[in-house]
Amino acid sequence: MAAWSVIGTVLIPWPTPVYATGTTVVPYSLNKQDTPFTRDELREIFFGRQTLWRDGSPLRVFVLPDQHPLHVRFSKEVLGVYPYQLRSAWDRMIYSGTGTPPATVDSLKQMETLIKETPGAIGYIEK
Amino acid sequence: MYIQSSALRCREALIGVFIVLFAYPQYTTALDLGIDDWQAHGFVSQGYTLTSDYNFFGNSRGDGSLDFTEIGVNLSGHIQPNLLLAAQGLYRNTGGSDREGFRLDFANLDYHLSVGDRATAGIRLGRVKNPFGLYNEARDVVWTRPAVLLPQSVYFDSLALRQAMISSDGGILYGRYGVGDHALTTEFLIAEPQDNTGGAAEFLAGIPGKLEGRPMFIGRMGYEWQEGRFRLMFSAVDLDRDFKSSTPDVSSGNTKTFYPLASAQLNLEAWSFTGEYGRITTKRQGFTPGGAILENTSESFYVQAQYRFKSNWSALLRFENFTADVNDRGGRRNAEITGLPKHNFYTRDVTVGLRWEFQRNWLMATEYHTVWGTALLSPVDNPDLMQRNGPERWDLLTMMVSYRF
Repeated sequence: MAAWSVIGTVLIPWPTPVYATGTTVVPYSLNKQDTPFTRDELREIFFGRQTLWRDGSPLRVFVLPDQHPLHVRFSKEVLGVYPYQLRSAWDRMIYSGTGTPPATVDSLKQMETLIKETPGAIGYIEK
Repeated sequence: MYIQSSALRCREALIGVFIVLFAYPQYTTALDLGIDDWQAHGFVSQGYTLTSDYNFFGNSRGDGSLDFTEIGVNLSGHIQPNLLLAAQGLYRNTGGSDREGFRLDFANLDYHLSVGDRATAGIRLGRVKNPFGLYNEARDVVWTRPAVLLPQSVYFDSLALRQAMISSDGGILYGRYGVGDHALTTEFLIAEPQDNTGGAAEFLAGIPGKLEGRPMFIGRMGYEWQEGRFRLMFSAVDLDRDFKSSTPDVSSGNTKTFYPLASAQLNLEAWSFTGEYGRITTKRQGFTPGGAILENTSESFYVQAQYRFKSNWSALLRFENFTADVNDRGGRRNAEITGLPKHNFYTRDVTVGLRWEFQRNWLMATEYHTVWGTALLSPVDNPDLMQRNGPERWDLLTMMVSYRF
């Protein structure tokens, strides 16, 4: 249990093909898990259905604005969905009282800062 | 007089709010309350409607109507990692079809837990949104609609029935089972409907009175592939209420309503295709003339295509159809019995629309409807509907601007 939440600046290993831009988008969190995330788990987390880590501690999700190129890439390349599918699920949660969607940050820099400052945070970065 | 002047004041205040919001675009993200994941969100939407021969959402003939305002603020956050508290206050004005003003839209506690790796089960208690069809839960927020209005043949906004469809007081049990790209979802609601609000009781019974008795049941089951890239859903509302007449010499009785609805949606990168088909069967007895059991079945459906031709623009094309009595599709028999025009018993509508998110958190949408028939018009906004012999075909143009945070 405790081994899962070892704190350290560790990138979660994620096998992603290299795209024309020469960079990859990867999930980013300081919460270390014993196994890498699967696409199914990441969908649970980013669609807002999973609200706690495997050890029971609260999970906080950060994303860039809907039209941000990196958000578009993360949606398509990592989650395998169109960004509007995420937006429509989040809006349904917000306006029907059935969940809290990820918090939107304005820039990658802010994303990294917030993830380092917020316990249990997860987002994504460009590598 | 008073209502008019307060509506005017509200409109002026709203224009002020829009100007302030537009001038200070830095306030364009959700209000992060700084305590764990607590968030506040809100929206301010103002519409304008212009019609040719009948009124829709206020006095919309002539110069058009601004009686189309939707304002909401909500708060949500986790008390425990899997215990959610959420509530939303809503102000809504759509002319004669919604005069409730401010209301508590939902206020619920939601607890969920994982069952193994693949399944989730949960319970939601309080004033909950009714799980019905593809759009019902968030339908008063234009951001969740394809353009301005939802298809009126399935989501009645101008009839008094709408108040009972929105939210109710009770509980929902829900579950989700997912394997890879496939997921099955299910929801079951037992709750006291808000059918004594907004004229719903009179609408269901046909005469003034109160509804009470057995709570409402709603069930919804769905299958989705790849988070909704393809989605199939089946919902049903079962309402069985005792009617207490408030008219002297008219006895009390019972009214039953059953509304099954099948839904399908395909979401491609640029295109979305949606269709929903439902039938409402109502059975009234005890308070009807001669003690007869009055039974009627209506039919609702629409098919719709959305095309996202730029990242912040989309177009809409929709055909919808409502038949008030499936045994009298053209309305001839009902027209003979009631003396009303045949087109009072159906509505066919072809809609084209555009939606533009012109700045982050700002949206503008417009729709043009060519309508045949008057079955879905509000009798409050059209007091002469039952007397005059208006045309079968009429036009509706509507626009909406919305800001949200």
